Amino acid sequence: MIQLKNITKTVRSGSDDLTILEDVSIEIPDGQFIALTGASGSGKSTLLGLIAGLDAPSTGEIFIDGDEITSMSEDGLAGIRSSKIGFVFQSFHLIPSLTAFENILIPMEIRGQKDAKARAIKLLEEVDLTDRGHHYPAELSGGEQQRVAIARAFANQPSILLADEPTGNLDSKNGQHIFELMTNLHKQNKVTLVLVTHDGQLAAEAQRQIVLKDGRVVNDEITPVPVS
Amino acid sequence: MRFIFNLTRREIRSSWRRLLFFFLCIALGVGSVVALRSLIQNLTQAVGTDARALMTADIEVSSTSDFSPTEIAKVEDVIGKSGIVEARNEAITTSSMARPADAANQNLKLVELKGIEPPFPLVGNFELEGGKAFDFTLIENGGAVVANILLEDLQVKVGDKIRIGEAEFVIRGSFDQEPGGSSGFRLGARVFIEKKAFDDAGITRNASRVRRRILYRTSENPTELVRLLRETLKGTTVTVQSYRETQERLGEQFTRTENYLSLTGLLILVLGGVGVWNVARAFVEQKRKSVAVLKCLGASGNKIITVYLLQILTLGFIGSIFGILLAQLGLWLVGWQFTDVLPEKMVYTINFPTSGQGILLGVLISLLFSALPLLQVRNIKPKLLLRDENNANLRKLDPAKWIFGAISLAGLLGLAVWQAGSFTVGAFFLAGLGLTSLVLYAAAIVLTKLLRNIRSVGNFPIRQAVNSLYRPGNQTRIILLAVGLGAFVVLAVQSLQTNLVREFDFTRNQRLPSLFFIDIQKSQIDDLVRIINERIGEKAEATPTVRARIAFVNGQPFDFQRSEVRQQQGQIGREFAVTYRPNMDDNESVISGAWWPETVESEVPEVSVEEEMAGRLNVTPGDSITFDISGRKITTRVANIRKLDLRNTRTAFVFVFRPGILEKAPQSYAATVLSRVPATERQRLQREILEKFPNVQVFDVADIVSTVQKLVSNFVLAISFVGSFVILSGILILIGSVALTKSQRIYENAILKTLGAKRLTLAAILLTEYGLMGILSGVIGAGFAVLLSYAVSRYILEIDWTFEPTLTVIGILTTAGLVMLVGSIASFDVLFRKPLATLRSQ
Repeated sequence: MIQLKNITKTVRSGSDDLTILEDVSIEIPDGQFIALTGASGSGKSTLLGLIAGLDAPSTGEIFIDGDEITSMSEDGLAGIRSSKIGFVFQSFHLIPSLTAFENILIPMEIRGQKDAKARAIKLLEEVDLTDRGHHYPAELSGGEQQRVAIARAFANQPSILLADEPTGNLDSKNGQHIFELMTNLHKQNKVTLVLVTHDGQLAAEAQRQIVLKDGRVVNDEITPVPVS
Repeated sequence: MRFIFNLTRREIRSSWRRLLFFFLCIALGVGSVVALRSLIQNLTQAVGTDARALMTADIEVSSTSDFSPTEIAKVEDVIGKSGIVEARNEAITTSSMARPADAANQNLKLVELKGIEPPFPLVGNFELEGGKAFDFTLIENGGAVVANILLEDLQVKVGDKIRIGEAEFVIRGSFDQEPGGSSGFRLGARVFIEKKAFDDAGITRNASRVRRRILYRTSENPTELVRLLRETLKGTTVTVQSYRETQERLGEQFTRTENYLSLTGLLILVLGGVGVWNVARAFVEQKRKSVAVLKCLGASGNKIITVYLLQILTLGFIGSIFGILLAQLGLWLVGWQFTDVLPEKMVYTINFPTSGQGILLGVLISLLFSALPLLQVRNIKPKLLLRDENNANLRKLDPAKWIFGAISLAGLLGLAVWQAGSFTVGAFFLAGLGLTSLVLYAAAIVLTKLLRNIRSVGNFPIRQAVNSLYRPGNQTRIILLAVGLGAFVVLAVQSLQTNLVREFDFTRNQRLPSLFFIDIQKSQIDDLVRIINERIGEKAEATPTVRARIAFVNGQPFDFQRSEVRQQQGQIGREFAVTYRPNMDDNESVISGAWWPETVESEVPEVSVEEEMAGRLNVTPGDSITFDISGRKITTRVANIRKLDLRNTRTAFVFVFRPGILEKAPQSYAATVLSRVPATERQRLQREILEKFPNVQVFDVADIVSTVQKLVSNFVLAISFVGSFVILSGILILIGSVALTKSQRIYENAILKTLGAKRLTLAAILLTEYGLMGILSGVIGAGFAVLLSYAVSRYILEIDWTFEPTLTVIGILTTAGLVMLVGSIASFDVLFRKPLATLRSQ
């Protein structure tokens, strides 16, 4: 369960304070697939980053499975991410100096998982990149890179998957492929999936849609059509 | 831990090219330390700190005059009572002229003559050419054993006869290395003859510069015996020395030299460290996103720092190993380049313990200089993956940074102290380096500020190049500092060399004699002057000299039991050639007291003392010095202290007496010839005079000066060799700095290309930017080099100093060219990048 209570995020912009999120309160039950939508600058990515503990809110509290994370140390947050959260970025953010296989291996090695290699091979298989494991990110196409990023996000079998416009840098065919991969993994592994997207069609496939505008939640509704 | 090791391995695999300069900086620094230290250790080994073999005995009793029967009796009494002396011999040394007996062979050469008696040597071995052991019968009955070099100089061979003084000797053997003679500067080649042949040759009759030695081999530690001998010889000028003291002194000298050279190595290593610092900064900058991703995936800041630290340590370790290989190469290079001047026994391999020390130094410097930049990893926030806020936090005041900075500085001090072998020297080294860097850095600030005024002058490439020097995160000042420091060392050495070589330029000093004759008898002087006049048309200047030694200063004898007095024994206990005259010479000036009036008679004998000797004896006008002249004690009053301008001198007397006292003493003459005559004519004149007056000693000053010049140029070559390492470190720092700003340069070039700039324009900007930086570095380096060479010339070497405009301009232009070349090569690929890919990736 993810709980956000009265979250506000303000940053300094020159000599002024700029409010990115204002009094946002959301509860996300385990296993739910949520689409976060809104115009550019509405605060979607910031909200996602706050859930992942990549940044701290100015005010308010965030709970992951009952643990309050806003007061945690950097290392404490790193621990939470390692065990509970997977993250997929729009621009993939693979480590350029590591092969695809090693990129998938990294979260498991950080956590000290024993059968890391076997699981990395399995994950490569699941994202259909068995033959590309020894390639460096620069040698992979955008779609392939994002598949590696998804495999990496699932490496530690997180209960939460946060995806920040994962199809934004891909063509429609690759985008569709990635989306299907994520939703399939979400269903198979029963993870909570929070997807930031501009794409109305993709958002429509989520169980719940939250719309942000100027840092505020302006719409929060359960999608009437169940995901098939 | 597995994560840390695996990631370290993978990072090294992918980043080693980017860290190549890091690797090179460490390799070069470690290479310098190991090469310099090994060099001096090998030299020590070759020269031999085995003082026992150098002395060829355990105890040496020596004097520059004949031992009096009383002195001999005292010495033998103490020796006899000690019961530890196993063997004894005597030796006598002086310099003299040797010439082939064959009149057709016109060569002649100054030699260092040593008269010995059996058993010789008391300690050590004496191996002759061809591996034969020295046999005393070789020199009995008019035989001589000579250094190989003399055979070449005189163009004679074993079996030929040579004349020394009034006697003839058959060369019965030759050698490369003699016992007790592998160290020190010597004017002539060594010749061994029988001791009793010395007197027969008439060499000791009037010769000054004669040293007599009685040598003993003992069965036990000779320290107590030496103390007793000194006690019994108190008040005389006889010197007693044990090999242990010589060993200690030699050991100290070598250790000091080794430590100073190690500091030079450390300087290069520290400069390498600055390169490491730059590369580490660039590395962290490039790794920002990877660090953020790792943090996002759950890795803690400390884990990531550990990964990069391990990576740095591994590279530092491998770099150090590579440095050791470089050191070995350097030693071979030294062997190849300096083989003529270094001892024959010298080996050119690096030493194992020194290599270990080098590796430790390399790893520690890697750690100390990369710790601070790596600390920035802590400040990289994973949120930059969502929104790059340009890491504004990086420049925030960070206490950890200060703590690590202090630890690094303390570590550096520790290394300096370790390498110098002394806390004071180490601290001074670090403070000196810091101060020099600060001054150079301040000069860099001033110059860049001045340059800023012309940022709107000139065409587009020049304006853009000037602006590039001020781009955010620019490395201009650090490059100016590093390259300026290198140029400073090299140019200062070159400037000193030019001034030193000029100082020893025989043709410049019009009053420096070309030939110098001493030990001329009163009955010989007129004939000698006449011969010289006939041959070269110059009336030689003749000066009467009397041999004297100091017996007491203010009524007190020297206490040679005191080590500080003993250390000066060579200068104060020797025999002096003194003269007397009513006037001061042109090259003299009185610095305290007054010169005596010509007309007034003095009641007490008076003496004028040279400034440095006055300092050594601690005398001022009014004090008394008692001289021993042919056994007669003459007490004089110090009338004045005199300064000698050695740059403009024909003769230099330490003691000049007031006329009226020495005229009656046994005296000989010294004569000088100023005319610059060709070497063959000089040689002919010397031969003629020696045939006629075998007791006279002749010094071919031009010959001696060329020996000294050779020494100076070798010394300068050695320093330039070290200096070139410094400049190489400067270049590595330059490359590291280029790497640091490369991504910005790529981005700028992409924008300029998009805006229509052609490759040629971009190349012009690049060349102008580095050209400007090079000129500024050159100006800083050359400017301070001029100041340093002036200060060292005038105040330390006390020689004339002349500004060398050509050297300065060439220095500045070479530095500019080098920086332009290196900077351009290191960033040339930037010109060929496609702008779209660059702009997309930003």
